[in-house]
Amino acid sequence: MVKKWRQHMRRWLTDKLELPADIIMDLPRITMVGQIHIYVENHRGLLTFSDKELRLLLKQGQLLVRGEQFVIKTILPEEILLEGKISQVIYIDE
Amino acid sequence: MKNQWMNLLAGSVRVKAQGKGVERLINACVRNDIAVWNVKKHGDHIATFFILLKDVRRLRVVARKSDCKLYFVEKAGFPFFCKNMLTNFGVFLGICFFLAIVFVLSNMIWGIDIKGAKPETEYRILKELKQMGVEKGALQFFIDDPETIQKKLIDRINTITWIGVELRGTTFYFQVVEKNEPKETKKTGGRYLVAKKEAVITDMFVEKGQPLVSINDHVTKGQLLVSGIIEKEEQLARGKILGETWYKSTVVLPLEATFQVLTGKYMEKHYIAVKNISLPIWGFQKPAFRHYEIDRLKRPFRFWKWDLPIYYERVVFRETQEAKRSYTWAEALAKAKELARKELKAKLPEDAMIKGEKVLHQAKENGKVRVELHYQVIENIAIPHQ
Repeated sequence: MVKKWRQHMRRWLTDKLELPADIIMDLPRITMVGQIHIYVENHRGLLTFSDKELRLLLKQGQLLVRGEQFVIKTILPEEILLEGKISQVIYIDE
Repeated sequence: MKNQWMNLLAGSVRVKAQGKGVERLINACVRNDIAVWNVKKHGDHIATFFILLKDVRRLRVVARKSDCKLYFVEKAGFPFFCKNMLTNFGVFLGICFFLAIVFVLSNMIWGIDIKGAKPETEYRILKELKQMGVEKGALQFFIDDPETIQKKLIDRINTITWIGVELRGTTFYFQVVEKNEPKETKKTGGRYLVAKKEAVITDMFVEKGQPLVSINDHVTKGQLLVSGIIEKEEQLARGKILGETWYKSTVVLPLEATFQVLTGKYMEKHYIAVKNISLPIWGFQKPAFRHYEIDRLKRPFRFWKWDLPIYYERVVFRETQEAKRSYTWAEALAKAKELARKELKAKLPEDAMIKGEKVLHQAKENGKVRVELHYQVIENIAIPHQ
């Protein structure tokens, strides 16, 4: 109940004060360069990784990236840069 | 991967992790501040990634808690390069040796090229150069610079008028201009001989022509002495007319003077200089002289065909001494006379003779001697004229 109320409060704040949503609400910020790069900020850790699939833990739910020839170029506690041929980016809600 | 070059400098290792939960291992690494990059998966349970060499120990600690086995498969970067260098010590030594040889050879003289000289002059120049130490295979630091060589060569070899000296790379180029000594009998004059200055004729030797004056005649400047026209036939007049001429000169000589005289003692210091910073390599003491002159010689090191920004510098300290000279009245007078005579002799032609000398006036003013002298000179006064 409290959690839901807080969520509403935050959404209202970002709407009214025009604050960036990724900071206020801890959402991932995803930058893609064509099909070849994907850069995800604000993730919560690596779940699975293979050369065709990457699964990242987010604050809420997971992010699934599918493609070919995946290589993690850099990984930092909250950032990840993936290279390869990306075909799908899917949000999975729990 | 903040900077690839930094990684290259610090050295990096490629790790192969095998086992379940490779992802967990990577997460653990990231949380423990171990930089991980280029993660690749090869099959279900094998992954490879790069870490910094300094993180290897921490990775082992982290990996102990996981089920993965680690293999180090590749080493890259400067520390490993150094290690390889040590094992391939011979190659490294060879490279150093090669560079050293190129360096030494670039600072040698490899050719002496003399242009515009007759064979005998060329031989003399080569001989003089050899005496100065300029020859094939000599190191360039130990020889004089081109200007000095030029001066010395002009001084020592009297058959050359001028010599251009240029050091281009490792070769000395000499451009010689030889004296064209005129043939003696080429003194073709005019049809008349005239007096070049006022004189009283003392002697006449007329080879060709009609003398128009006689001994003891007083002649003025430009007066006809000998005519080449004999019975309406034009000839070249030739001959010598000796006449007594007069010169006046004034000499001023200070009674007391101080000079800086070199005592002959000297000390050398050697430096290697980069820009303005000089590094002494030989001669560390301060010169023990109270007064000295400093001579600096700076020469760049060369490599291949370039001048390096490193210089070899030789500094020579020469001891000087103050010398005082003082004359008495009589000494000063004698010295002044000697000086005046020398000066006059330099002005006169070689066959002239000083017949007499008279002091017209002598005075002492402000610690200086001032002497006026009068000279009687016997010289050839005839010059050809059209």
